[in-house]
Amino acid sequence: MHFDTLHNQFQAGKLGMWLFLGQEVLFFAALFTAYAVYRGNHTEMFHYGQFFLNWQMGAANTIVLLFSSMTAAWSVRCAQLEQRKGLLLTIAVTWLCAATFMIIKYFEYTHKIHVGSVWGASFNIHDFSELPEKLQKLLTEQGITTTEAANAKLGKDGLGLGTFFAVYFCMTGLHGIHVLVGMGLYAWLFVRALKGSFNRKYYGAVDNIALYWHIVDLIWIFLFPLLYLIG
Amino acid sequence: MSDGHAHSHDDHGHGEALPGTIGHVTPASTLIGVFLTLVVLTVITVAAAQVDVGRLNVVGALAIATVKGSIVALWFMHLRYDKRFNFFIMFGSVLFLLWMVGYILFDTKMYQHDMENYRHNKTVDGKPKPE
Amino acid sequence: MAGGVVEKPAGAYGGSTKNYLNETRGIKNWLITLDHKRIALMYLVAVTSALLLGGFFAIALRTVLWDGAVRDPQDLFLGLRIEQMYNRYFTLHGAVMVFLFIIPGIPASLGNFVLPMQLGAKDLALPRLNLMSLYLYWIGAIFFVGVLALGGLDTGWTLYPPYSLGRDTSIPLILALSAVFILGFSSILTGLNFIVTMHRLRPPGMGMYDMPLFLWALYATSLIQVLATPVIGLTLGLSLIEHVFHIGIFLPEYGGDPVLYQHFFWFYSHPAVYIMILPAMGVQSELIATFSRKHVFGYKAIGWSSIAIAVIGFIVWGHHMFVAGQSPAAGLIFSFLTFFVAIPSAIKVFNWVATMYKGSIELKTPMLYGLAFMYLFGIGGLTGLFLASIANNVHLHDTYFVIAHFHMVMVGSTLNAFFGGVHYWWPKMTGRMYNETLAKIACLLVFVGFNLAFMPQFVAGTRGMPRRYANYSDEFTIFHQWSTVGAYILGAGVLLQVIYLTHSWFKGARAPKNPWGAASLEWQSDSPPDFHNFTKPVVVMAAYDYENWEYDANTGGYELRKEVVETGRSIATVHN
Repeated sequence: MHFDTLHNQFQAGKLGMWLFLGQEVLFFAALFTAYAVYRGNHTEMFHYGQFFLNWQMGAANTIVLLFSSMTAAWSVRCAQLEQRKGLLLTIAVTWLCAATFMIIKYFEYTHKIHVGSVWGASFNIHDFSELPEKLQKLLTEQGITTTEAANAKLGKDGLGLGTFFAVYFCMTGLHGIHVLVGMGLYAWLFVRALKGSFNRKYYGAVDNIALYWHIVDLIWIFLFPLLYLIG
Repeated sequence: MSDGHAHSHDDHGHGEALPGTIGHVTPASTLIGVFLTLVVLTVITVAAAQVDVGRLNVVGALAIATVKGSIVALWFMHLRYDKRFNFFIMFGSVLFLLWMVGYILFDTKMYQHDMENYRHNKTVDGKPKPE
Repeated sequence: MAGGVVEKPAGAYGGSTKNYLNETRGIKNWLITLDHKRIALMYLVAVTSALLLGGFFAIALRTVLWDGAVRDPQDLFLGLRIEQMYNRYFTLHGAVMVFLFIIPGIPASLGNFVLPMQLGAKDLALPRLNLMSLYLYWIGAIFFVGVLALGGLDTGWTLYPPYSLGRDTSIPLILALSAVFILGFSSILTGLNFIVTMHRLRPPGMGMYDMPLFLWALYATSLIQVLATPVIGLTLGLSLIEHVFHIGIFLPEYGGDPVLYQHFFWFYSHPAVYIMILPAMGVQSELIATFSRKHVFGYKAIGWSSIAIAVIGFIVWGHHMFVAGQSPAAGLIFSFLTFFVAIPSAIKVFNWVATMYKGSIELKTPMLYGLAFMYLFGIGGLTGLFLASIANNVHLHDTYFVIAHFHMVMVGSTLNAFFGGVHYWWPKMTGRMYNETLAKIACLLVFVGFNLAFMPQFVAGTRGMPRRYANYSDEFTIFHQWSTVGAYILGAGVLLQVIYLTHSWFKGARAPKNPWGAASLEWQSDSPPDFHNFTKPVVVMAAYDYENWEYDANTGGYELRKEVVETGRSIATVHN
């Protein structure tokens, strides 16, 4: 320990975490830019792509993450007030929310892979009847009723939905990796809290991991409407 | 909430804090209040997206998301009570993000036709299409 | 642990023989050390190895170019066509030099060593993170060795798609992309650590404006490292996925946008240019002030111009894309903005010159490198203005003019400052003096060789010699041959340095505490420093108060004046 006070050490760790979060913002910046560029040039691609996304699942995940963000903030409060049980409970709930998020995400991903609505070169609808109903209706109105015709319309020689799904999978995938990292961090935090490592003057890890978790939530707050809602 | 109090002693907590606590202790009511506000805003986002108003949908969704994000940053992330420099880092990085998105978006239309040409003259194997 | 064993009698130089180098022994104690000085030393060895490797490729390139006008590039050499080999070598030269040497070079080696000591601190704020960045650096370096072993790459260090990504899966390419991704995180963590340290570990009585200017430069560098590097990390991550899975984000065949890659790439890689030059400017400020024995002129101007360069660095990336399909309007704006970089750069140069004015200049080796820096940076900077104006740029784009320009800045300036810094802090880092005569000869060789290598390239470039070709038409022969001779002389200078510095490490004379009479806090420690950096309480004083030190003929170095030690205050304040 080479800081003169615990307070200084706390602030140093926190400043480091904030710089890391600044870094995170720019880490995602390239993906947001890619989104904006493809959307700006191919609005219709996003319009059609949206039919594949289930906004109910996205909204459920939003609420889950918001709730976990609250429990994360609460865990900091518990650490400050030295409420040991509360600390363990809030950490556990945050972890469970993260796990719930990933489970919902898993169902979304597997469904997309099943349908064949995936990235770039691999985009290939397996069966017209498996397309989302609204999209089936829209395509039928345009006289498209077969799998081949749907692929011609949506695939790389048509609207190029592969790029939409590239953006979708990259953005949510990178975010998902962050959630997994967060789960690892909260598991570690739980063990440390169990050992009683934290008190009102020493809880930097709880605070910093909560900050990280909030930025994961914050990014999802933007991803949800951009990908699921505005077509 | 006693903001003024918390602000003048940004390294110490509210009345409920134990003596010598480092940092600002957020009251439980604030945490729940912030969470409920965020849920309400999420509902508004979903509802607003059901109405098709063209480009305004994007603007509206982003505006609400920005409000939500700011609430998370200011209360959950304690930026309200934190050192100003930490706020500055976040603000600065968001500024660079906006500059990057804005500038590239401004430029992107100009070279689309070149890319279209390239795409139409090449097959996936990277060999020129037989004419 | 074996620490504490006194192995040699106390000498006249520092008083104690126990220091950070022999505190503990054995390779394991080095590998798990959290000591910033040891980490810095390991970085120094690593980046110097990278420099020599990149230099080897440079020499190979120049050798091929010696008779590029008459030789058929289809000829075979070691089973490869000359042109194929050439393409791989210039790619590896660029990638190794940029990612393994120049970007981490000064901050991670010299900065890591000096930064905490200039604050009178024991270590960086986050020592574990520091060790982690070293390991990330090593992993990245090993990946690059893998690229080499598997036959290299021929994409150019910029890895532009579609050429780079749009072909059969290539292991060297995957390794290179991962390497840069990992090295990026090494760089981010170093920058983050530096900023935290400068904020939280300044001693009482030292404000931001009392820090040595080297630290201001490192601060600005760190800001760029933290805020720009993630963009390239993500970009190369996406490229990797694109290359393997063809997701259609950069490759036009699959609906991607290759110009977007260039935007992303330069959003990082242009600021990265300032990651390379800003620490060099910081070293320069220290060298010029110390060897002019004068308080640096325009302290705040130099300090804030570093920050200004960092910020402006973020808004000029498009000038790398003038002929890449970017819109004319964007080109105009970027051209206009680019000129702004010249202002803070010029502020620095003028202030250095003003610092020297009426100073008592001592032409020690580090100062010679400092002078060379100013000359070469002047040329490199001013030719940058040629390139910033869009009409010139269209003519000069991708010619040897560009090559000469950025080598003037990246090699001429940064490499010179790196050498200057190594010579300046060598006595502190190793506790040994080097042979001054040989050092001056090496400096001369580097300077002459460098100018001979790159001045002709300016001319060749304006006459239309394009970059990245193994052969050329006959009219360029003379320029290439001068350039090759210059490269050999430069190489000889660097080799000479390696020889006498290695010799000095083992056999050099013991270094006094403060051989130069410098005033920043690191010189109050022993040479080499104790494991805890300082054995006596540090007298916190402004970085350029040279009158606090007086020459001591017994040690051959400078000692703090008695009244400073007794009062614990700077002379300037004692007399007030």
